[in-house]
Amino acid sequence: MTEPLLQVEHLTVTYETRQGPVRAVDDVSFTLQRGEVLGLVGESGCGKSTLGMALLRMVRPPGKITSGRILFQGRDLMQLSEKEMRQLRGRHISMVFQDPMTSLNPLQRIGDHIVETIRVHEPKVSKKEAWDRAAQLIQRLGISPDRLKDYPHQLSGGMRQRIMIGIGLALNADLIIADEPTTSLDVIVEAQFLDLLRELRDEFNLTMILITHNIGVVAELADRVAVMYAGRMAEIGPVQPIFHNTLHPYTRGLLASVPSIRLEDGLELETLSGAPPSLLEPPPGCRFHPRCPQARPVCSEKTPPWKEVHPGHGTACWLYAEEEA
Amino acid sequence: MRSLGRYLLMRTLLTIPMIFVLVTMVFIILRVMPGDPVKASIRPGAPQEYIDEIRHSLGLDKPLYVQYGEYLWDLLHFDLGTTLSPVRGQSVAEQIWQHFPATLELSLAAMLVTAVVGIGLGAYAAHHRRSLADYSLRLYGIVIYSIPVFWLGLMFQLVFGVWLGWLPIAGRISSLSAAPEHITGLYTVDSILTHNWPALKDSVLHLIMPAMTLGLYLSGVFVRLTRSNMLQVLKMDFVTAARARGIPERTVVYRHALKNALIPIITMLGLQFALLLAGAVLTESTFSWPGLGRFLVERITYRDFPSIQGTVVVFALLVASVSLLVDILYAWIDPRIRY
Amino acid sequence: MKTNQKTKKLAEEPTSLLGRLLRGASWYGAEWYWTATGAVILAIIILVTIFAPVLSPYDPIVTVGGPFERPGGGQVVLLAPKDSGITSPEGLKVAVYYNTTASVVAEDYGMTPRPYQVDKDLFEKVRAGEAQAVLISARDAAEALQKNPDFVQVGEPFGPRFWLGTDNLGRDILSRLIWGARAVLAVAILSALFSAAVGIPLGLLSGFFGGWMDRILSLVMDSIYSFPGLILAIAVAAMLGTGVINIAIAISVVYIPTYFRMTRSQVLSIKEELYVEAARALGAKQREILGMYIFPNVVPTLVVVFSLNVADAILTEAGLAFLGLGLQPPTPDWGFDLNKGKAYLPRGYWWPITFPGLMITLVALGFSLLGEGLGEILNPRLTEE
Ligand SMILES: Nc1ncnc2c1ncn2[C@@H]1O[C@H](COP(=O)(O)OP(=O)(O)O)[C@@H](O)[C@H]1O
Ligand code: SF4
Ligand SMILES: [Mg+2]
Repeated sequence: MTEPLLQVEHLTVTYETRQGPVRAVDDVSFTLQRGEVLGLVGESGCGKSTLGMALLRMVRPPGKITSGRILFQGRDLMQLSEKEMRQLRGRHISMVFQDPMTSLNPLQRIGDHIVETIRVHEPKVSKKEAWDRAAQLIQRLGISPDRLKDYPHQLSGGMRQRIMIGIGLALNADLIIADEPTTSLDVIVEAQFLDLLRELRDEFNLTMILITHNIGVVAELADRVAVMYAGRMAEIGPVQPIFHNTLHPYTRGLLASVPSIRLEDGLELETLSGAPPSLLEPPPGCRFHPRCPQARPVCSEKTPPWKEVHPGHGTACWLYAEEEA
Repeated sequence: MRSLGRYLLMRTLLTIPMIFVLVTMVFIILRVMPGDPVKASIRPGAPQEYIDEIRHSLGLDKPLYVQYGEYLWDLLHFDLGTTLSPVRGQSVAEQIWQHFPATLELSLAAMLVTAVVGIGLGAYAAHHRRSLADYSLRLYGIVIYSIPVFWLGLMFQLVFGVWLGWLPIAGRISSLSAAPEHITGLYTVDSILTHNWPALKDSVLHLIMPAMTLGLYLSGVFVRLTRSNMLQVLKMDFVTAARARGIPERTVVYRHALKNALIPIITMLGLQFALLLAGAVLTESTFSWPGLGRFLVERITYRDFPSIQGTVVVFALLVASVSLLVDILYAWIDPRIRY
Repeated sequence: MKTNQKTKKLAEEPTSLLGRLLRGASWYGAEWYWTATGAVILAIIILVTIFAPVLSPYDPIVTVGGPFERPGGGQVVLLAPKDSGITSPEGLKVAVYYNTTASVVAEDYGMTPRPYQVDKDLFEKVRAGEAQAVLISARDAAEALQKNPDFVQVGEPFGPRFWLGTDNLGRDILSRLIWGARAVLAVAILSALFSAAVGIPLGLLSGFFGGWMDRILSLVMDSIYSFPGLILAIAVAAMLGTGVINIAIAISVVYIPTYFRMTRSQVLSIKEELYVEAARALGAKQREILGMYIFPNVVPTLVVVFSLNVADAILTEAGLAFLGLGLQPPTPDWGFDLNKGKAYLPRGYWWPITFPGLMITLVALGFSLLGEGLGEILNPRLTEE
């Protein structure tokens, strides 16, 4: 196996709030191969965005990466200087945000967004060249090059989201992190955008982390799925086993909430009840136990260890782990 | 853009009630409230006939509602009446017009100082939030606002005028004969237009301290406004997105964010303009700057009732027109605005 | 859940003013220190105001020394010819310069002053027998003795001492500052109370009942608000004339809209809150809702507004006084003292204009800091992150 593009090891991100520390990402590990699309799912507030931002070392204050390693192309991002990190952002790792209405500078023309980004990372490129590159690119994304002269408010949400992706493509980013890119689009635009993503994935061999609270979106696009719950990783595996051979009770609950997904083994699924816990004072043991239909006594006492149940398919749940005496 | 045109029309119409209220307020203060302006303006022991004659000439002997009607009527014709003292019978409007350029020049120069200092420091504070510099600049905003502007001027005069002897402490120009030919009435502009370099140097030297005084006084407010606007903008997604694209921090903060933060500041200029005028009155008095503010204060000591009324009305009109202008400017600058 | 978290966070914050204040520096950082600093400054100023008669070294409106005596100056020494046998100042006939503290002190100590023009040599007068000794400022003693070796110093320096110097009329600046605090605070607080007394009820009614009255009032208030406050106060003061009450009224006119707008907007937002709706549904009377539910909720914000308003009023009062529209002289008034001192500034007399201005700044700053700090502490939106 080749060296993975991204290797996250025991990453912990803490927000130091007035009420106390909030561990929004708690001891999370996973790897990502080149050309792979990883779907990162979980209810809102479970720390997905925080994890995404942490990969760029851009967690908003009062948040901080408190421990762990992020190996990107073999380099430990935690060891890079702020300048090296900046050169990496946009060039190697590109990010697409949730709300396309707000993620473009309202006073900057669309074209200037792309040109500026290209020229920051490739200072030798002239303005003209960069503009031409931008024009070609957005044509590929199905937008007329004239629109480069428009201001963001003149574009629809779907177009803007395509522009955001385009900025990543313009520099041939190695990894694109898309944080709920379709959440604020309406259904038809969402479908179009997902189609586009699929095309781009195949055409450019994109490596992508697709963050979403909608596990249905993941089914269409992802090669592998990572499920987060309350700051912790609940389950990771290839997309088929996650859907058809689900391990973690929380993943099951998530699946049950998507009407279009039918599970083959005919297992009765209870939809999730209750609300996700406060990360300020998370429940002890398995954080899911207050909502888990299969909880056992040990679940509320000890944190379940990570267990690779099948090759490449692991989970943190007492149902699959031996309880030490 | 027809819609923008309609917005401008609506906005202009909305200014009318405001002007009406302000003008009425001036009337109430000067005519309805207790205090007889004429009696106060005349040396004790003047013959009653003389007092009556003046009252009559000003129309102060008529019933209030008639006075009010005549007052509004005159204003509609830009008729501000004639002076009572120190010289009787001069046109108030003309007097005001003569003093206006000095105030304008001072205000513009002060706004330049304010913009550079206030916006620069405010943006810096927001960028370095919760740093020592941030706290110091926030404190600066409060402290500079608590310093009486005229005292700030006095301290400048003391240090730069008296102790160091670098700058003149009073007036707009060393002598009237040194003044440039009258074109706009702004000495600095006129001396550039007429290539009168000695006059330019002289008028700039005279302008520095008053402009710094008034400008620094206002800068406190702008530090705060810029800082809080910047903090809001810096929290916006597009700033995070720009950082995530690897745009250098300076560019993100001082190009992308600051531009966005400045737009709401323009709208607030309207309110700060009132502060500017109030500060100008005090600054002009401190530096014997022959503008509208000093004219007003001087006429108060002479109890020249028509001049006082006229000047205050002009201030009211200025406030209303600037607030209108600012709104128009705003609509024009921001590409997002569609009315 | 982010929002859940936030609402939870807010619920955990103490909501009472006192509760927030007691939370202290660890929660509110700079804001808390500001509040504390402001409070300390004000406490000192208020003590000074109360104990002005005790603290003030001299009568603020009486000439107690020479004009423009420097800070720390005022003491004099007696220089007598050698072997004159003079040991005490009592009953002497002394030579002094005109218009110096020495001429004031001489009379206080039962001497007969023989004042001379400044350019006359006092020591010659003594040698000529016109006076028995020379009384001069302690500061000049050493130089004078060097020039006139036939004289010696009798006893220690004595007489008054002006820690902040004297003004053009030989009045003690420190005493004027101390008494001036009374005048300024009286005017500022009185005017703030006037503004509050008019602005708050109007704002409550306007916001609560709405309708055309609300619209007209809002238009009027917004117009006044947009007008330069000082110029408004100048116009009113010019018509009403001087005096504490008149000046207070002139200033209060300026700040009525501040109270009105603040109260009105608070009422508008609180009116929609659930508990007010509930009270209404339960049949509470309008007056009760206004008095029992809405007004108490407006109070904390008004405390902030009041504090900031007093700061503004102090500055406006000083401005009016500086323009000659303040209290009636000889009442000690910082702004007026600055007005007078300005004329002597070109001669380099810095102390008559430095200290009153510092005091205005300090007191205005005290109220500003208190108001700003309280405002930030009270406003969870700003302090939360
Ligand atoms: N700026 C912040 N300050 C304090 N806590 C935060 C902040 N941002 C996020 N959090 C906490 O981190 C948790 C995860 O947030 P986030 O990563 O945005 O979740 P998601 O993207 O999965 O919806 C949330 O529960 C929230 O309470
Ligand atoms: S560890 Fe226990 S509580 Fe947690 S998911 Fe597994 S069974 Fe449920
Ligand atoms: Mg998120």
